[in-house]
Amino acid sequence: MTDYICHDFKTPRTDTARRLPSSFRFIPIVFYVAIAGSAYIMTMDYFNFQKAKKLKVEADERRTRIEGERDAFNNEFAELEAESKKAEGVAGWMEGARNIQPIVVKIARAVAAETRLGEVTLERGDEVAANLALGLKVSGVNASTEIMNIENALGQLQYRSFSPQQTKTEDAIEYHSTLVRSSQ
Amino acid sequence: MLLDEIKSVLSFAAFKADADDAAVPWASRFDGRKSVLLNVSRSQTSWRGMNKKGKLEEGGVMDGEFADVAPQRGEEWRTMTENGWCALSINHRFIISLENNLMRGDNCVSLLRTNPRAVLGPKYDRGKRYAVCHHPETTASLLLAVEESMVKVTEDLLKTVQMRPGRVCCGLFALLEHAVLSISRAADTGTPPNFILIVACEGSIGVLVQQDGQWKDVRCRSGLGPEAVETSLQIISPLIARVPQGSPVYFVSDGQDGKFRSEIMVHLEKVGAVDLTQDDLLWAILGEH
Repeated sequence: MTDYICHDFKTPRTDTARRLPSSFRFIPIVFYVAIAGSAYIMTMDYFNFQKAKKLKVEADERRTRIEGERDAFNNEFAELEAESKKAEGVAGWMEGARNIQPIVVKIARAVAAETRLGEVTLERGDEVAANLALGLKVSGVNASTEIMNIENALGQLQYRSFSPQQTKTEDAIEYHSTLVRSSQ
Repeated sequence: MLLDEIKSVLSFAAFKADADDAAVPWASRFDGRKSVLLNVSRSQTSWRGMNKKGKLEEGGVMDGEFADVAPQRGEEWRTMTENGWCALSINHRFIISLENNLMRGDNCVSLLRTNPRAVLGPKYDRGKRYAVCHHPETTASLLLAVEESMVKVTEDLLKTVQMRPGRVCCGLFALLEHAVLSISRAADTGTPPNFILIVACEGSIGVLVQQDGQWKDVRCRSGLGPEAVETSLQIISPLIARVPQGSPVYFVSDGQDGKFRSEIMVHLEKVGAVDLTQDDLLWAILGEH
């Protein structure tokens, strides 16, 4: 009896609009789905925006920290480079002074233990680079003897003193000469 | 206006049946809304409320002509419904006749309401409102004709008390339609070829006779007074005599007037009548279908 509809003979209304087809229900359904979808997207956007702001703050902090570490490393690197340059200078000097090192060793070995060798200078000649200007300041009782010993020791290295000059003050002797290679 | 239309679409109200859409059962029209059912007889009006769940609620009966009852009870009816919508059953000043070869079709029901001449042809009477019930298996039809002036007067009376009729029908004819369909669908071995169907509704009675699978006769009377049982028996007796002995006799009433029902069944039981009446059957038909 579900399909039975009671008869009706009322006066028909003329001001009624036709009922919309049921298939048109998708219009409000789509509307509400769009509203719900928009609300969901806006909510998710808001939370993502808040999360992104937090991440940005964290990234800024991390960048600041890393930049500080980078600057520290750069400073340390610059210091190491400066030390390296100094070392290179020393190494260069050592390399350049290799041919006069035996002279210094001979001088040091020629001097007795009780004699004090105050100053030793070796300079290449301005005009003849093979000649060396030797300067000594020897103090002690046997300073004159020590000067002789030094000249003898240098003679073993084929160097002879040219125009030696001695200046004696109390118990110290200042000695200057030009060492010339005998083989020349 | 445009805003109202947009609101009705977004609230899905535009897809729901109008309260006075005759093509939709009453229960579907008022799903989730309260309504009131009225049955107007010649000297009595009864009513019953329906709640939002479609269940029948309290009602009432008042003697007197509808023109006197409506102004007194209008306020009460309005509180029982939403927006004043009601289903109205007019139970007097009608005639039920037997017709043959009436037009049938899906749109005939609505056409009968808007352009009855197209359906009835020369049988159409200008001052009448019509409803039709077709025999399920033959070309016979029951044609209900109600005084149009009385329908309009009743509708106007309801409007004066701010009530709006969503349906105007005839209670007796509704019971008759329902009983015919019930008998044809309930019988396991098919509709019995011979039977008598007696329908009573608040002071109106109708009798349908079927012989050899054909509707042969229909009688109706409204406005039965205190001697309703005697008058009814005077109508029924000659018709029972016409059908073969042992033919089923069915009795259906509105399910409210127990006194009339019990008194007439005392006589009908002598011919083996079966009482198909259910409690509140009239209201159930009006409120559900």
